Amino acid sequence: MTLTPPTGAGAGAGVSAAAAEVRDVVREARAGERAIRIVGGGTWLDAGRPVRADARLELKALAGIVEYVPGDLTLTALAGTTLAELERATAAEGQWLPLDPFGSPVGTLGATVATASSGPLSLGLGVVRDVVLGVEVVTGRGEVVRAGGRVVKNVAGFDLARLMIGAWGTLGAITEVTVRLRARPDVDRTVAIAIREGAAGVEGLLQAVRTAPIAPAALQLVSREMARHIGAEANGSAVMLIRLCGNEEAVGSQRGVVAGLGDAIDVGQDVWRALRAVEPADAAVVRASAEAGRLGEIWHAATGAGGVLAHAWVGTGTVRLMESAQQAARLAELIGRMPRVNVIGERLPGELWSRIAPSMVDDRLSRGVREAFDPDRILNPGILGEANR
Amino acid sequence: MRIDPALAGRLAEIVGDRWVLRRHAQLLVYSADGLPGYRKVPALGVLPGTRDETIAVIRLLAEYGIPFVPRGAGTGLSGGALAEDAVLVGLHRLKRIIAIDPDSRLAIVEPGVVNVALTRAAATYGLHYAPDPSSQAACTIGGNVAENAGGPHCLKYGVTLNHVVAVTALLPDGSLVELGSAAGEREGYDLLGVFVGSEGCFGIALDITVRLSRDPQAVRTLLADFTSLDAAARATSAIVATGIVPAALEMMDGATIRAVEASIYAAGYPADAAAVLLIELDGLEAGLEADVRTVERLCRDAGARGVRTARDEAERTRLWQGRKKAFGAMGRISPHLVVQDAVVPRTRLPDVLARIHEIGERHRVRICNVFHAGDGNLHPNIGYDATDPGETERVHLAMGEIMNACIDAGGTITGEHGVGLDKLEYMDRIFSADALAAMCRVREVFDPDRRSNPGKVVPVHSCREWRMTPAARSAGMVTAGGA
Repeated sequence: MTLTPPTGAGAGAGVSAAAAEVRDVVREARAGERAIRIVGGGTWLDAGRPVRADARLELKALAGIVEYVPGDLTLTALAGTTLAELERATAAEGQWLPLDPFGSPVGTLGATVATASSGPLSLGLGVVRDVVLGVEVVTGRGEVVRAGGRVVKNVAGFDLARLMIGAWGTLGAITEVTVRLRARPDVDRTVAIAIREGAAGVEGLLQAVRTAPIAPAALQLVSREMARHIGAEANGSAVMLIRLCGNEEAVGSQRGVVAGLGDAIDVGQDVWRALRAVEPADAAVVRASAEAGRLGEIWHAATGAGGVLAHAWVGTGTVRLMESAQQAARLAELIGRMPRVNVIGERLPGELWSRIAPSMVDDRLSRGVREAFDPDRILNPGILGEANR
Repeated sequence: MRIDPALAGRLAEIVGDRWVLRRHAQLLVYSADGLPGYRKVPALGVLPGTRDETIAVIRLLAEYGIPFVPRGAGTGLSGGALAEDAVLVGLHRLKRIIAIDPDSRLAIVEPGVVNVALTRAAATYGLHYAPDPSSQAACTIGGNVAENAGGPHCLKYGVTLNHVVAVTALLPDGSLVELGSAAGEREGYDLLGVFVGSEGCFGIALDITVRLSRDPQAVRTLLADFTSLDAAARATSAIVATGIVPAALEMMDGATIRAVEASIYAAGYPADAAAVLLIELDGLEAGLEADVRTVERLCRDAGARGVRTARDEAERTRLWQGRKKAFGAMGRISPHLVVQDAVVPRTRLPDVLARIHEIGERHRVRICNVFHAGDGNLHPNIGYDATDPGETERVHLAMGEIMNACIDAGGTITGEHGVGLDKLEYMDRIFSADALAAMCRVREVFDPDRRSNPGKVVPVHSCREWRMTPAARSAGMVTAGGA
């Protein structure tokens, strides 16, 4: 097959120097039939399934902001740029990138997008797929593909950018990302409400917040054990954390509404930093999600027996559970108690992957998509649990 | 195209004779969509009435290897629903709202459900379906999924993609696949994300699970009146930069205002204004007034002559009616109307609008601008007479220059209308050959024979690994999806 250099003349058609460099590495690997492990900041290397690779492609050095127009609330950065760096640059303009994935702040933008990792703020401010406007990737064919663009609304062509989000690098190594930003709110305040024991306590509170006149940026259930870890404990019980953002009056009024829902105490913003970094270094971590209306049911299945580090997104119906590596099998037991859930493994011991989180890319369409971008399976092979060819 | 005469009979066995369109006069009804100047008469039309009939129809077409074009209400503006040498499959009879789950805020609908009908059905729960294209009284959710449709309120609430959680897709070979999940996030490739907006080239969305949104507690609608387009554009940038996210932030220029005010949709816009901004703020009652005051101040600082807030629901409806019916009002003035669609970075609005004005003057065409300013999503529209070849040529030249100006400003060629047939010629300008080839390959994953809506979205010469499709061989021709 011949590789044709891009011929288009428009804004989206050029190839960055960074991408050209990565392209050469991928082409060489493909020619030599070598598989590549793509590495960003290296902070989440133990996440995902084991990769069968012959070489590493380090993208950490591909760092820096390519274009930032505060008036447009858009930013383009190389994939190796850390979230901490983006936080600094955007804070200077009173803006932020509202992605708060779990793990270290030196995690990279590229890895965040590749793994579709978002945190508590995704409730009010969107998941990765809502925030990413465009990406540049080097495919397993050694071609540079720019998908999406730098504007906030775009339906030109098939939306290849969506495919790259959450593909864990198996369709292409991400070299550049364009995201939409938000202005930082005037007031940003977090409140914890104690949850009464038992299934009725959770259901009652969930029902109340569903109809209450509040519009939180984040709304999380936190198990008793987790609350203790992050310093959000209220009377030794599980809590609901409510993050209110907006102007003074809007936040003040919502704080009043929240006070009517239960024993509410103000907690510092540190709880969110603590929550993002709560899991022990070797922990096994898994997420399970159901329709939002069934959250009470799966939360009770996960935490009813106590003793588990867990938190959950109210509004999207996702529970995140963690256990020490030695106790990881317990996660399988808990997941087994939850009917009809989607399971996503973040970090698991080898033998538990197929039991808890069987591969979701062995269907005909997913195999076809992989073939379209990486026919020789040289990018992160094995990370999605895909069958060997 | 040669169609096996037995096919129409076999389709009639599935859907009933009256739902198979064979006669030229019947087919003419389906020979155009919202894009003027293009007319393609389908080879045959079939209008299934149930999910099972639709599956049987697509399986039969697969058996015959015949290309087809799925169609909703035909309100699209890019020629995407035109069927040439293909069977038109109309889906507007599939209009059941299958379920509404108010606790999970989800609804399951068939593809022919009209956009606004879902919002009406959800109203009893205090919920609504957020994407609201101007054609929402007629367009279907299936069509919205195909086009990844937007609308004025997408500034705050997002486009169709952000509201669709699962689709049962009927692939062109007649197989059914579940894309996405109503149970929230799942691992694996975002096949749903690439299906939404695939303009009917990947198959048919047979049932669609969408997210419903809570009705806002309070709404304020403001009208700001400007003596220059530039001042209105600067006010837009200033509002976006404060961090207040209006539910909608729409701009109409003088020509549009006068067309609206001369029509039955007259909304009370100031007839001598060079531009107005229609700004809607919604959310919780508390704190909303403070945002209204901030927006008012920013408009005045940018040079607004006046800013008024709708006093009641009737006035609010009237202000919106003028905006939503602006295209219709323009249609009164000229026999044909091109509704253009492009996006530029918001900070580039003032200079791009100036450039559009200059292009219009030079080509002696009458451009009206009515658009989603908050998103930078322009709709420069040109009213003309398509039977006048000279004027048609000038319109075409002007549109080409406008698209190029938007691309040069760092923008894109379509924000919500899709590529269809109309924008094919610009795809090379914004995507590299490698990117276009990748799109061709992804399309072939869903539709290896390229029989579903052939010839749309990606220019055929971009599909490097072209091969004669079985469909083309059996029909003794090269399909539009081929070389």
